[in-house]
Amino acid sequence: MSGAGARASGLTRQRRRSAWLFLLPMLVVLAAVAGWPLARTVYYSFTDATLATLDAYARVGLDNYLWLMRDPVWWRAVWNTVLFTVVSVSLETALGLVVALTLNAHLPGRGLLRAAVLIPWAIPTVVSAQMWGWMFHDLYGVVNAALLGLGVIAQPQAWTADPHLALPVVIAVDVWKSTPFMALLILAALQMLPQDIYEAARVDGVHPVKVFFRITLPLIRPALMVAVLFRTLDALRVFDLMYVLTGNSRSTMSMSVYARQYLIDFQDVGYGSAAATLLVLILALATVAAITLGRVRFEAGR
Amino acid sequence: MAAVTLRGVRKSFGRFEVIHGVDLDIRDGEFVAFVGPSGCGKSTLLRLIAGLEDLSDGDLSIDGALVNDLPPAKRGIAMVFQSYALYPHMTAYDNMAFGLTLSRTDKRTIEERVRAAARLLQIENLLERKPRDLSGGQRQRVAIGRAIVREPKVFLFDEPLSNLDAALRVQTRMEIAKLKDDLRATMIYVTHDQVEAMTLADRIVVLNAGRVEQVGRPLDLYHRPRNRFVAGFIGSPAMNFLEVVVAAAEGGAVAVGLPGEATLQIPVESASPPVGTRLTLGVRPEHVGVAEDGMPATVLAVERLGGETHCHVTLEDGQRMLVRMEGDIPVGAGDRLCLNLHGETAHLFDDAGQRL
Amino acid sequence: MRLRRTAGRIAFGLLVLGIVFYAVFPFYWAIVTSLKAGSALFTVEAWPFHPSLDNYRAIFSQQPFGRNILNSLGVSLSVVALSLGLAVAAAYALGRVAFRGRTLLLLVVLGVSMFPQVAVLSGLFELVRWLGLYNRMGSLVLSYMIFTLPFTVWVLTTFMRELPKELEEAAMVDGASPFVIVTRVFLPLMGPALAATGLLAFIAAWNEFLFALTFTLTDEARTVPVAIALMSGASQYELPWGQIMAASVVVTVPLIALVLVFQRRIVSGLTAGAVKG
Repeated sequence: MSGAGARASGLTRQRRRSAWLFLLPMLVVLAAVAGWPLARTVYYSFTDATLATLDAYARVGLDNYLWLMRDPVWWRAVWNTVLFTVVSVSLETALGLVVALTLNAHLPGRGLLRAAVLIPWAIPTVVSAQMWGWMFHDLYGVVNAALLGLGVIAQPQAWTADPHLALPVVIAVDVWKSTPFMALLILAALQMLPQDIYEAARVDGVHPVKVFFRITLPLIRPALMVAVLFRTLDALRVFDLMYVLTGNSRSTMSMSVYARQYLIDFQDVGYGSAAATLLVLILALATVAAITLGRVRFEAGR
Repeated sequence: MAAVTLRGVRKSFGRFEVIHGVDLDIRDGEFVAFVGPSGCGKSTLLRLIAGLEDLSDGDLSIDGALVNDLPPAKRGIAMVFQSYALYPHMTAYDNMAFGLTLSRTDKRTIEERVRAAARLLQIENLLERKPRDLSGGQRQRVAIGRAIVREPKVFLFDEPLSNLDAALRVQTRMEIAKLKDDLRATMIYVTHDQVEAMTLADRIVVLNAGRVEQVGRPLDLYHRPRNRFVAGFIGSPAMNFLEVVVAAAEGGAVAVGLPGEATLQIPVESASPPVGTRLTLGVRPEHVGVAEDGMPATVLAVERLGGETHCHVTLEDGQRMLVRMEGDIPVGAGDRLCLNLHGETAHLFDDAGQRL
Repeated sequence: MRLRRTAGRIAFGLLVLGIVFYAVFPFYWAIVTSLKAGSALFTVEAWPFHPSLDNYRAIFSQQPFGRNILNSLGVSLSVVALSLGLAVAAAYALGRVAFRGRTLLLLVVLGVSMFPQVAVLSGLFELVRWLGLYNRMGSLVLSYMIFTLPFTVWVLTTFMRELPKELEEAAMVDGASPFVIVTRVFLPLMGPALAATGLLAFIAAWNEFLFALTFTLTDEARTVPVAIALMSGASQYELPWGQIMAASVVVTVPLIALVLVFQRRIVSGLTAGAVKG
């Protein structure tokens, strides 16, 4: 006779034990590089720690956060980031749709076209920032030359230095770099649509524009929402583009640039950590909002 | 070769019990088929024996040893899966040798055993191919070969023929029958196809909703189904069931009134029910005769299969029956027939479905 | 009717050309610039009339750019190997074993991929210094796990889940342990998924900037993106644009080659990670 106790330690349990064993290395690494550092950041945000004195600091309560609330540069960074996110993600979605619909059409050399579209995505952000920085150069840039030649502008513009133009430039570069990602995700969704719906619409003589808004868009909406969420979260933590194109300039500074400036350049770990913690909170809020309002659904565990 | 014993075997998934206490003795060298409708638990029972699922309660022994907590590989079983489950990246040879390689059998023995199995299954020329280059039937053989090479005490087959087309299925069925004679091992075979079970098995276990309905030799199940479920499940086309009322009862036989005037005398094993009891009469379509005189019926529809003719008829009280006749019989819809039933080939079931 | 259709075709053709031009021109311009030497740099010409490789020579002689490329290669390849190794094991557990907390774990992993890097900077800095990895490649290999692990785990879990259950059961009957099942049965079947996720991990690691900027100090320890971002010329106020473009071309060409060769894989990896969840 084997009792009920022996049952419980059966094969399923053995399997679960090995599952945890398989998970352990990944969990340890993630805890080390994500969980622990995040916890430290939150902790430091209540201290006056500096980079040089990471182990000698005093607790200062909410002081860092209070200072942050009173710093117009921080609010400028928040505004820059939000503006950057909203404008660039909207543009990327619209352009991505156009590119995806184009790629979805049956035309010769589609593979080549798709590869061409992938190029901006594959180029490192730093490199694309430099490339565009050079194209937008105030004296020798091709953009000024072209626009002057076409008569759009009367005199050369200092694109990256002019506080009114710098953020649009940063957005333009991001749109160039990230539209491919959007387009590919939308394209994948388009290619999963059943063809017979379109045949039926054509038989019924529905106008193509109407087909797009009444059939295509609602059907790809779930995939589109996931892509928009991914891009939004990415855009909210943008760093490389601003840092390389315009350095620590206030006119384009994002929250990540602000936080890093305090953490590393000013070595004020406490204050920088407070800014970073707020960024995490904003990201978390954006995620929750997107999932509830946009009804984005992940197929986590089926 | 070994006996397999199940005692009070239960299986639950969460709160949902799917096997409700099964007792079963499978003898050494016996070929036993588990049949039943889909969802009856036959595959779960097989997987419990294989060790792919944990028992929730009860005991399972193979060759006299309790194997409740042994992993599949240590139970002395081999299994042939419905989808064959061949390793796609390995050649047929490697597929068959994989288990032995893992148990560190020496290369020579592995080679000998694989070659021997391949010879038996006539797939010696396919050993270097990968599964994707094999036809369905050939994959099936490799899957069986993988089981043979393990030299198991018990072979387990999970609906092995269901992915083959009709012609290949008949052929492979014959080959499994031959294999059974060659290997003389205990085999447990799950199928939803009662023809496979009837032709292959020494004994059949009929399962329904997680319970054993009857265990017996194929023809015993056909001739003496224990209950209405088995009666309806075994035999094709399925048995006719008619609502009848007891007209008279005497020792060992019951007379029931049939639609129309006639009555039918049927021998029973249990105590006779009182006159007036409602019962269900079961008659197989092939046991209904057509004669000059008898129970009147009207033909509804006719299906001609060439060698036999299936006649759907309505009786006087509106109940329907299927009549199976040998040969191509010239009848048509609307014709009136007289049907003859025989007490020896008829079955009576009480309202709980048990055979009297 | 026919006229309208022709006009439509022409418009569509122009659209396609426009897209290609938009996507490719900046890179083309970088190549053109990189081939200009001296004062030619400061004239806007769409074609390098006097092509010169001076800039390419300069980045390898005046800058430790060769060393930077080796650093990037070493870091990226180690990141790919480490994250695939960890992720395959984890994906088996997450994709094929039913245990309590599995869904939660998957969501946590997904959540980590949404962390802003700057939020772990100080803690990671501490960890890196404690491990003695500051200004070494190890610091980058370790810290890059924060963005490569989540999506490799996620994509490989989705893929593992699709593998037939009976295959694993057949292996169990054959006496295979979970380790053997993963390494000898599943891994050989995961080629496409490993290639796709590996490529994405490689590109992500190759392109990373913030950690590389923070955890390295000396020119010799830098990776390619940091080197390109911080490249300086003879005087502090004059950026060596020709060299920057040459370096940009050098690091981008292999990536574009990868994209051209593996575009199908990359697309399937991206979409498996995002669309299917």
